[in-house]
Amino acid sequence: MEEVDALVDAGAGEFFCGLLEDQWHEKYPIISINRRPAGKGHFRRFEDLKEAVSLAHARGIPLYFTVNEHYYTHAQYELIARYLEGAVDAGVDAFIITDFGLLQFVKEQGYPVHIHISTGGTVFNWRSVAFFKLQGADNITFPRHLSIDEIGEITAAMPPMETTAFVLNSRCINIDGFCTFHHGLARKEIPSMFRNACMLPFEVQVCSSDVSLPFMRQACMIERQRIWERVHVDDHPCGACALFEFVKLGIGSLKVVGRGNPLERKVRDVHFLKRLLDILREDPSRTAFRRTARMLYQETYKRQCRSHMCYYPEVLHDGAGGT
Amino acid sequence: MEQAFYISSIEQLRHPSDDFTRLYFGAEFCERLMPSRQDLETALRISRERALDFTFMTPFVTNRGLAQLDELANVLAHTRPDSEVVVNDWGVLHLLRSQYPELTPVLGRLLNKSKRGPRIMNIIDQIPTETRDYLRGSNLDVPSAVYFLKEQGIHRVEFDNVLQGLNLDGTDPGIHKSLYMPFAFVSVTRFCLTANCDDPTKMDYVGIFPCCRECLRYSFNLYNPVMKLPLIRRGNAIFFINENIPDAVDKRLVDRIVVQPEPPF
Repeated sequence: MEEVDALVDAGAGEFFCGLLEDQWHEKYPIISINRRPAGKGHFRRFEDLKEAVSLAHARGIPLYFTVNEHYYTHAQYELIARYLEGAVDAGVDAFIITDFGLLQFVKEQGYPVHIHISTGGTVFNWRSVAFFKLQGADNITFPRHLSIDEIGEITAAMPPMETTAFVLNSRCINIDGFCTFHHGLARKEIPSMFRNACMLPFEVQVCSSDVSLPFMRQACMIERQRIWERVHVDDHPCGACALFEFVKLGIGSLKVVGRGNPLERKVRDVHFLKRLLDILREDPSRTAFRRTARMLYQETYKRQCRSHMCYYPEVLHDGAGGT
Repeated sequence: MEQAFYISSIEQLRHPSDDFTRLYFGAEFCERLMPSRQDLETALRISRERALDFTFMTPFVTNRGLAQLDELANVLAHTRPDSEVVVNDWGVLHLLRSQYPELTPVLGRLLNKSKRGPRIMNIIDQIPTETRDYLRGSNLDVPSAVYFLKEQGIHRVEFDNVLQGLNLDGTDPGIHKSLYMPFAFVSVTRFCLTANCDDPTKMDYVGIFPCCRECLRYSFNLYNPVMKLPLIRRGNAIFFINENIPDAVDKRLVDRIVVQPEPPF
């Protein structure tokens, strides 16, 4: 609740959030209702959610409620229905959904809220947008695993739909909506169970049909594989360079991941993007904008732009206003 | 019990396949590996010669892949309209429903999202019953989910052989279930590490870049003690092997086994 005004002041135009009560956590300690592990990053009570909605609405800002686990079983629906009804009573503006069963359930219940399709909806083409539009969706979130050009090709062909794209934090190595690894299986004190599976160190064995493969090339392949392990998903990954195209494409929302981050970091992230959006209003060239975005990134996060931390690394490698 | 044989390339027909009555053919994880029209026609011809039913496997696709898939679906609809098409992309389902209604859609394992990470097995006996039931279950026991699928013309769903056990009790009998063996899918990326993996100048290219289909030559085995068993990176996807037959087969809740002679593409 206390974050609402600070983030609106920094430039936030929409909020998304989750809620997790003890009753759910006792039954499903490693399965969150909204894909965030227990701990930070959730409301704990519907009263608090309601107050946050009121604060946001008072500033003219909508608030969306995440119920975006990849699937729910029948046994969970009694609790889920209570969450949905509680969120509606609190006044949320939309549910963010992945599971097709829950999508159908929400339609059947006729809740007076919008339906947003989570990145778990895996919208990689214009027909997927059309499909979800037929299912009553009002907004889709693009997967992280699309290039800027591919997003442009989808928006050019799709039916009218509000869209959201990721631009900061948690650059997942695998496709979120298809990944079936499960993280946070134990407390932080047991890192091999807590950490994201894709970031664990692996011993790598190359299997090749090419028996004449030189040793150096095998070593190269193993080293390449190990890059995977060094890519920490939250070491300030950034896609701000793409704002130039996203504004022209009509992408309606820029998603900043990190519900559990400290308020200071959230404010910094929002402020960073707000400054860039303000710069875009001055109609800079793409090259000039990219240059400014990178300078501002380095100034804000004290890091150089790095290919493996770039949401859209083609801007670094293909000359698309990269340098 | 129907037995199907799943291959990703014509060359894989070299594997013995006499015990099977259905052929699965196509790419499941990467649009760059979708078969050519010529290869699809060859697979269709061979399936006809061997009196095999035919299932066409499709991956998730971008707009470009969708256009390519449209051409292949057109071939399929004209040559073998009784074919099934496994969809791993809601847009592909939209294509079939709007352009090729004669083809039968099947919900692929990428859209059937059970948890498959092997680390679950380290805690499976320490978690509450409700959580264990969830991890072994699926949303096919939810009436709304079943209604949704049937409204989309889907009457079959593909399952992986998860290590924690597959419980299909209470699922709708009107939805048929296939079980993939022995390779179970875990995860997939478009930031393909195998792409350009033997080019030192592209060591830090972790994104969506052109490739030379290096995955056709290399795969990787990944070992970490917490996983208890090796992971296999084939192309842009990760698998493990599970050869145990789940109870759901004995209970006849699965009516098709899909055998993969190699990790699929």
